Amino acid sequence: MADVRIEKLYKAYGSVEVIHGVDVDIPDGRFVVLVGPSGCGKSTLLRMIAGLEGISAGSISIGGHVVNNLPPAERNIAMVFQNYALYPHKTVAANMGFALKMQRMPKAEIDARVDTAAEILGLKPYLDRYPRELSGGQRQRVAMGRAIVREPKVFLFDEPLSNLDAKLRVQMRAEIRELHQRLSTTTVYVTHDQIEAMTMADQIVVMRDGHISQQGAPLDLYDQPANVFVAGFIGSPSMNLIEGVVSRDGGSLRLDAQGVSLAAPDRAGMEEGRKVVFGIRPEHLELDETGFEAKVAVVEPTGSETHLVLRAAGRDIIAVFRERHAFRPGDTIRLKPRPEMVHMFDAESGLRLD
Amino acid sequence: MMDGMSSSVIPRKRRDPVLIGLWISLVLVALIWLAPVVFILFTSLKSESEIFSSAAFALPSDFQWSNFSVAWAKGNFNQTFVNSSVITVIKVPLGLLISAMAAYALAQIPTGWNKLLLVFVLFGAMIPFQVMLAPLFTLVNSMGLIDTYPGIILPYLAFGVPYQVFILHGFFRAVPKELTEAALIDGASHFTIFRRIFLPVSLPVLSALLILDFVATWNEFAMALVLLQDKNMWNLPLGLMSYQGQFSNNYGQLNAAIVMTVLPATIVYLIFQRYFVSGLTSGAVKG
Repeated sequence: MADVRIEKLYKAYGSVEVIHGVDVDIPDGRFVVLVGPSGCGKSTLLRMIAGLEGISAGSISIGGHVVNNLPPAERNIAMVFQNYALYPHKTVAANMGFALKMQRMPKAEIDARVDTAAEILGLKPYLDRYPRELSGGQRQRVAMGRAIVREPKVFLFDEPLSNLDAKLRVQMRAEIRELHQRLSTTTVYVTHDQIEAMTMADQIVVMRDGHISQQGAPLDLYDQPANVFVAGFIGSPSMNLIEGVVSRDGGSLRLDAQGVSLAAPDRAGMEEGRKVVFGIRPEHLELDETGFEAKVAVVEPTGSETHLVLRAAGRDIIAVFRERHAFRPGDTIRLKPRPEMVHMFDAESGLRLD
Repeated sequence: MMDGMSSSVIPRKRRDPVLIGLWISLVLVALIWLAPVVFILFTSLKSESEIFSSAAFALPSDFQWSNFSVAWAKGNFNQTFVNSSVITVIKVPLGLLISAMAAYALAQIPTGWNKLLLVFVLFGAMIPFQVMLAPLFTLVNSMGLIDTYPGIILPYLAFGVPYQVFILHGFFRAVPKELTEAALIDGASHFTIFRRIFLPVSLPVLSALLILDFVATWNEFAMALVLLQDKNMWNLPLGLMSYQGQFSNNYGQLNAAIVMTVLPATIVYLIFQRYFVSGLTSGAVKG
């Protein structure tokens, strides 16, 4: 087991820089999720940790040793790929034991380790099968088995659940998390799915365009997004972001946004005339006669909740209610943001105003 | 009218006229290809008198197995068969191995020069070897390799490898790069990845190339004619040509000689044809 330190890391392909000086500190035994939209550099960062991509500048250390120039095999890491990358002509057991065979480990020990891993992952009945004879979920487990038999210092996962159907994804999510609790191996996990990030991570690193947008505990990111991007990216359905101009109405601050006037909290830098973004999560909108007017466009009952798509302030607003309401498209309702749950961002820089 | 109505009530299985046409042409083409083989096989088993008295495609009334033993002895097959075997058994696997290793390096080990190197190798496949026969003779002669096994095997390799590299490179490129990366993380060297992963994975295409190359090498005539002057170094096609020149009046024995020449290539084809077909199609389907 080991910590992973990434310092001032740059990656450029020719003249195109894709990672711009990233710092991440991953303490020993943590489950860290790198999340962001496609092309944000999260997979590149993971591949640099694995040693599959070169480093343009900066350093990566695993367990206190700089590994910049070490080949993948000597970094003591194991990686699970999105398409599993199982050897098609080898059985499940041979797939899992391949790395140990490469280390010239005695056969008895390989068998013992493969057996233990198969036990953990419920793969015992499939050890003699070939990858093509397995379902997607089973293949995913074999890929994980191949990683755990090596007892590496760090696990790397590259979007491992993307090829699975929704139900299996939820199940595997829990299995990976449980596996981590059992082995406590430092884990770096890449996904574009913020729900995966929220549910699995001890620490989330949100990336965008080769920069780190914010990193921290999942609920911290949810409650205190550092900028408009993170605010919109984390959470599902995503946060309502309403652009407007600050005005002063007597003693209280207000936000004017295309015919809607909202009570704005008093935050540093909220001077009159400043362009800001008002953020409110869908579940923090309440029905209130004193609120702003919104027209119901779509009603989406999920059973446990009711999602409403509304038109107000010249844009779509999403609201989520625990209770069941008999709204119909075309109805007009009045909504009020819970004041303590309002997020304010500068419209220009996108940064949070506290 | 009645037909139309009844078929609208009970939907009948309609035969696709295009499909029927295709089947007919397939059978015709097969017959056209099969005819000379049958002719040669039957003639090789007929006596001299029967050849002229019976129809070309009639079954031999009395099997003349002696045609084979006589042709074998007269045609010096003892020597030419050994020569062909030595040349083919060394050239085909060696050429495939070199091609596969080169194709792996070009497809999987980035150097920045891969494309240029590939184009350079492919030039070898673009120049027809007939153009190079005269300079080739001069070259092999200057090395003192005329009438030796290396003298024929080396040029065969030189002309065979580019084409095989081209085919294998395409195949190796289609192998997901994660497979290589997973193996690199597992601690495998490039040579191990090549041997333990790429060779087994590309068994179908390797078998296809093996068949093609075996047949081509076994039947090669032009280069052998130029580079092998000594009668004791001749391969089968050269031996067959000489046999035809000397004993062309005895059709039974001549056809027996042809059958013996073709048989090994046919056997190799039949053994590997299962892989051959899947090898030719696998690249197309899997992209």
